[in-house]
Amino acid sequence: MNIIHVDNLVKHYRVHHREAGLRGSVRSLFRRHYETVRAVDGISFDIAQGEIVGFLGPNGAGKTTTLKCLSGLLYPTAGQVTVLGFTPHRRERSYLTQFTLVMGQRNQLLWDLPAMETFLVNQAIYDVPEVEFREMLDELVALLNLEPLLTKQVRKLSLGERMKCELTASLLHRPQVLFLDEPTIGLDVTAQAAIRDFILAYNQRHNATVLLTSHYMADVTALADRILVIESGQLIYDGDLSGLVERTAPYKLLRLTLEKPVNGNDLLALGEIESADGLKVALRVPRRSTKDVAARALATLPIADLTVEEPSVEEIIREVFRKGGDHA
Amino acid sequence: MRRLMRVYKALLQTAWATAVEYRAQAFLWILSSIFPLVMMVVWLAIVDEAGPLAGWGRADFISYYVGAAVVYQFTFVWSTWQWDEDIRTGNLSVKLLKPLDPFHYLFSEQIGWKVFTLLFIVPVVMVIAWLSPAIQYPLSLGRAAAFALSVIAALVLAMLMSCTFGVLAFWSTQVSNLYQLWIGVGSFLSGWIAPLALFPASIRQVAYLLPFRSTLGLPMEILMGRLAWPEIGFGFAVTCGWCVVFLVLYRILWRAGLKRYEAVGA
Amino acid sequence: MRNYLRLLTIFYKNTLVGELEYRLNFWANLALSLFWLTWAALSVRVYFFHTDTIAGWSYPEMLIVMGLFFFMNGYRQMVPEPNLSRLSEYVRMGTLDYILTKPVDSQFLISLRHIGVYNWGDPILGLGLAAYALWRLGRVPGPDQILLFVVLCVAGMVLLYSFSLILQTPTIWLVNVERVDAVVQGLLETGRFPIQFFRGWIRGMLTLIFPIAFMTTFPAQALLGQLNWGTAAAAIGLATLLFTLSSIFWRFALRYYTGASS
Repeated sequence: MNIIHVDNLVKHYRVHHREAGLRGSVRSLFRRHYETVRAVDGISFDIAQGEIVGFLGPNGAGKTTTLKCLSGLLYPTAGQVTVLGFTPHRRERSYLTQFTLVMGQRNQLLWDLPAMETFLVNQAIYDVPEVEFREMLDELVALLNLEPLLTKQVRKLSLGERMKCELTASLLHRPQVLFLDEPTIGLDVTAQAAIRDFILAYNQRHNATVLLTSHYMADVTALADRILVIESGQLIYDGDLSGLVERTAPYKLLRLTLEKPVNGNDLLALGEIESADGLKVALRVPRRSTKDVAARALATLPIADLTVEEPSVEEIIREVFRKGGDHA
Repeated sequence: MRRLMRVYKALLQTAWATAVEYRAQAFLWILSSIFPLVMMVVWLAIVDEAGPLAGWGRADFISYYVGAAVVYQFTFVWSTWQWDEDIRTGNLSVKLLKPLDPFHYLFSEQIGWKVFTLLFIVPVVMVIAWLSPAIQYPLSLGRAAAFALSVIAALVLAMLMSCTFGVLAFWSTQVSNLYQLWIGVGSFLSGWIAPLALFPASIRQVAYLLPFRSTLGLPMEILMGRLAWPEIGFGFAVTCGWCVVFLVLYRILWRAGLKRYEAVGA
Repeated sequence: MRNYLRLLTIFYKNTLVGELEYRLNFWANLALSLFWLTWAALSVRVYFFHTDTIAGWSYPEMLIVMGLFFFMNGYRQMVPEPNLSRLSEYVRMGTLDYILTKPVDSQFLISLRHIGVYNWGDPILGLGLAAYALWRLGRVPGPDQILLFVVLCVAGMVLLYSFSLILQTPTIWLVNVERVDAVVQGLLETGRFPIQFFRGWIRGMLTLIFPIAFMTTFPAQALLGQLNWGTAAAAIGLATLLFTLSSIFWRFALRYYTGASS
């Protein structure tokens, strides 16, 4: 059963264009130059109940705009959007109580008061009965280890702790649909892992549908069965994760910091040179042979430091785009 | 409706907690609203020079401005600035995601803050009024009730005016300035610069029909016992009329503005 | 010294570029300054419906004081306020640490780093109003009156700054207290009117403790030829004293902040 239905969504903005410097600013006092930004340029997809879908793409690709259209914060320029049978931009109360949008960059928590205060306000606003509220609160507190945080003022919490409280405040009304916009941005590794585990647990317990955008490959790897890749306002991939990774980036990056310069051929023997900057070299190595190549590098080259990296999301996406897009 | 009551209960608790948190700020805010007393000093200097004006003597001016200082604390609304900021920064989106009109957040915030500051000011002023022979408020029970009602009505009207200007922020970046202009012009016609009784009759007639008097002059004139009941009734009618006008204006602009916000994005 | 002047040029040029971006704001602020000036002049006019002089001051003479109030208030919003009100933020965010490690005097940095460009209308229009009022009176101040006036204005500006700094410095200890400038703002409001309007202990307080009288009334009296060099000397003395006190207090607070004094 399709919970989310998007049909040829288009969203354009007009922005004013300014030159830098003093002269440019004086000029803009008198005349302005506008251009149209095509944030979303015709995307279509369907999401069924209980799916966790990752929404990937570089900055400015249209991810946040799409989420805002789905939440009713933006009016589509063209196309059709339906969530849970509602038209989001009508912002009907019955729709608003069934979903939640969490934006990593914005908070709803009251800054100078303990998070608990915000939870109570939300309870009243969403009209959550006391029993259900307590149940949900206990569940969330347990899942996220919130006990010590509840009575501390929000402004005194760390970024990770605040994010956990933000998530809690957003879920107390037990929404069926979760839109998460960069929920782990700026968090340390432990906090990121905790949030990921939590999203998975919530999805499993309540069969909630989750659409999450992220910059971090790790978020997507841990959570999403299905990936939508968007670039320049268009959907360039819609399918499962393993297919995407295997097909587009069948390699890993071996980053070497050498102790002294070496012969270029020695490096080429190990793998394709991605970049070379003085003593820092990055090599592309096929996934399956990464371990062997790393071992050989350590044995044959004077190495001060060696790391193995996943190619970045941008690279994978660039690869996908280069290969002409693929709809599974 | 009952749900709204529950929501307000929760919002007011939060507004109160925030005000307590910012009590130092509240204290400074009270301390710095010295202007009405400055104006009072000027009027007293004038009375010393030229004798009672239109039947107002020293004691009258003192009673008026001390009372006005308190009423002003209760009816000065700054929600316009919050609307402006929320719309400009896109933080309005956070409020829009909730099944609650943003108006209620702002209104409860104003009420919470005002109740908190008044908790300090009112006892102090009452003691001063009791100790000072100059300050006289000839109140009967009926008039006291009328006064209280007029102050509440003043707050509601000020809130509606503030929000009407606030939602103009969907179109203009100068909304805070526009509101300042409104308040600035209004300060003549509300009885702030000078009690309305001191203006020539022609100006007074106009002032009686405009919304500004309802926010200060009317409550003060009731408090000082200078109005007969029919006049009080007329004042309330004007207040209610303007409340309706601004309510309608606010709703229309809010609907239209929201459409624009959703078309344009934050 | 030249280095400091260069720094100021850079600081202010950046601010100007930033402000010009908001072109509507630019014009709107000017319009708003004009509005409040007119509002002030009209509200004073209301007082004169009922009398010709108040405590010996006529309407045009009062306009001079009002104009100088706008000048001082505009200056306050351009220099002391935007800079010193950030002190609480500096302490909370730890930015003060950056400031202290720079090879530039810390008092200079916290006092002159920013400038409230958008308030440029107030000082200029305020002086304009004072000039207009003098013209209405048919008086042209002679050169030594103008000199007195300038001396008193500068003294007034130094007093306002020093006073603001003294009030803001306790932020180092109290951290979370904001908008202390509201107190300065409130007190300066009394400067809209000549000091002679206030009597008894209030007048004394506004002359010697919070020296508002030196900021608007005395410069106005200088222009009107009612002031002598004795008062000017007092102004210079008081300004120097208060400036020195504020500097000492600031450095004392810094020693607490850096843990030098226990």
